[in-house]
Amino acid sequence: MHRAANAHVTTRRSLLRAAALGALATPFLAACGDDAGQQPAPESTEPVELSMFWWGAEARAKSTEDALKLYTAKYPFVTFKTTWQGNQGYYDKLATLAAGGNAPDIFQIDDGALSEYAERGVTLDLNSYKSSGKLDVKKFPEGLWKYGEVGGKLSGVPTGENTPGMIYNKQLCTELGIPEPTSGMSWEALITWAEQVWVKSGNKVYGTMDPSADYKALWVWLRQQGKELYNGKAVGATKEDLVKWFDLWQGARDRKAAPTADLIHEANGGDVTKQLVVTGKAATSFMWGNQIAELSKATKSTLGVVTYPGDNKGQWARAALYFSVAKSSAKRDRAVDVVNFLVNSPEVGKLWGTDRGLSSNLDVRKAVSDSLTDAVQKTAFAFETDLATKFGPAPQVPPKGHVKVRALLTTHAESVQYAKATSAAAADAFLKEANAALAA
Amino acid sequence: MAAHRREGVAGYVFLSPWLLGLLGITAIPMVGSLVLSFTNYDLLSDWSELKWVGIHNYTRMFTDDPHYWHAVKVTLVFALVAVPLKLSASLAVALLLNKERRGTGLFRGLFYLPSLLGGSVALALVWRAMWAKEGAVNGFLALFGIEGQNWINEPDWALHTLVVLAIWQFGAPMVIFLAGLKQIPKELYEAAAVDGAANWRAFWHITLPGLSPVIFFNLVLETVHGFQGFTSAYVISGGTGGPIDSTLMYTLYLYKAGFGDYQMGYASAMAWVFLVAIAVITAVLFSTGKFWVHYGDQS
Repeated sequence: MHRAANAHVTTRRSLLRAAALGALATPFLAACGDDAGQQPAPESTEPVELSMFWWGAEARAKSTEDALKLYTAKYPFVTFKTTWQGNQGYYDKLATLAAGGNAPDIFQIDDGALSEYAERGVTLDLNSYKSSGKLDVKKFPEGLWKYGEVGGKLSGVPTGENTPGMIYNKQLCTELGIPEPTSGMSWEALITWAEQVWVKSGNKVYGTMDPSADYKALWVWLRQQGKELYNGKAVGATKEDLVKWFDLWQGARDRKAAPTADLIHEANGGDVTKQLVVTGKAATSFMWGNQIAELSKATKSTLGVVTYPGDNKGQWARAALYFSVAKSSAKRDRAVDVVNFLVNSPEVGKLWGTDRGLSSNLDVRKAVSDSLTDAVQKTAFAFETDLATKFGPAPQVPPKGHVKVRALLTTHAESVQYAKATSAAAADAFLKEANAALAA
Repeated sequence: MAAHRREGVAGYVFLSPWLLGLLGITAIPMVGSLVLSFTNYDLLSDWSELKWVGIHNYTRMFTDDPHYWHAVKVTLVFALVAVPLKLSASLAVALLLNKERRGTGLFRGLFYLPSLLGGSVALALVWRAMWAKEGAVNGFLALFGIEGQNWINEPDWALHTLVVLAIWQFGAPMVIFLAGLKQIPKELYEAAAVDGAANWRAFWHITLPGLSPVIFFNLVLETVHGFQGFTSAYVISGGTGGPIDSTLMYTLYLYKAGFGDYQMGYASAMAWVFLVAIAVITAVLFSTGKFWVHYGDQS
């Protein structure tokens, strides 16, 4: 109670202060407004503390702190109160903070949740900052920053570009004497290849993870047939599509190309250390391209990365993550300036490498690419750069309800994997429940 | 008169830490959630977006949400299996520890230990590792040439690992049983021994009736506790209630609806139905009490 009252006073006071200073600074700002690429000049040198919240591992925490120190070095009166945690429970915490009126000034978000927060008015619309040049996205690929728009509002700034990537055990291929999987191979070819892994490994290693519960894989597969996961506020796939998808993987499991349901379930949790390519239970995992760095750290085997099977037109330039600014922030101008710094500074780009995707700013991306020394990061970089010429057009950002739809797909796909439901029954149940969740 | 009033004021002052806690942390939020259960409250939107939806959340729960009924089923199975087994285990251990032997104190401490760890996250994490495919449990089974399941990743088994975890933490009811056993007058056993009654007869005719108020107390407490199981299901399933909803306990589903799907109005409605359901179950237990609970002062 006491704290809330206090925060309220601070907010009102700093609002007044910001308004007064804003008026003072207007002529000054106008004078340097068209100086493209430069950081907007500070409007005030009053000490200010910004809160920032993200999820990730320890390495990301360190590189983020270092990046913020660069900003503080530039503007010594700006300090940061950072909070970070693992992926699990991140959105619970963020929702609780936002519900209590304590949303962090800057927070990390992904395309799974962007609409949930944007449509409920938690995120600040950054369009006015973009047009005034205070938020500079001119060096971003157009499709990439547009992937931060929800209903015409620029709700998040992509920290980098990323694409789903199938990560495979390169070393195992050499040991078993079988060719490595290639980008653009058909889904059927992957399953045939995977069958070989099972046979040649003496029935020890399954060939491929079964991604039928993974919305990323389903989405790419649908796009390769000219469809989308979402059609406005409804599921874009028909029952026939879903049955075909579930049956494709039922076939793979029957042929021992893909593992048993309990192993698939372990990996479906998303935990990096539980991925089958890391635990050695299967030769591939369906992840994000840049995660090869993270996965490589968790295993002794040498890994490689190719795109998900099928035509690469099904892929698009995804925002790996976004930074959003809270609409309720009293320090929103400063917060936007910090985000602008983080996504456009080459120094920050070099600190982060591929951790938050390939830098959105193409100049920064070039600088990062020139400075890379780590072999695994180079692989991730080459993978994404090569794909950039083959992308299809970006779809709409997943709508509100997407989080629930993802969970529903997992549940119903798993019920087929555990042989508790037929493909047709699972497809029916998924469509009914997913469409209800999207309409809510 | 004045002294009386001063005493009254002092009473309230001493009461205030508890009273403020009750009002601020329990009573007012509860009333708040009752109001919210009739709205579309979604946690994030501005209050101006809040809409009154009448009993929609309640009708949806009962008529239009298969996952809800699934969660009810999972919770009932959990409580019906875990509570009787836990009570039996704790009573059995209490009977053994009631005999004064060397080292009894140590054993009482050791048996109580798992309960000190309570519903802790660390314990659930250890449990998850123990019951994994390559975990300690399967390692033990392998000694006998048995190939164990991937327990926590099989929908037919996952809930039972939670049941075993609940039973293992029998310390709290055990301590209460122990205290209850000490209350039974020794003379009754002596008289039974003189009459030549066998041990099991003494247990049946002296221990159980003498202990029945304590059994009743533990039964009510553990039933309520059992229905509220959350932490172990949350941690062991990674917050999903999976595989395929097999560990989707009521409170976990409620939590997921509120914080995962941003349907806090719906979650509030679920919480109220839950409260009423537990109240009814407790009332039923109380009404059966008069048939089997014997208080010492009754003839």
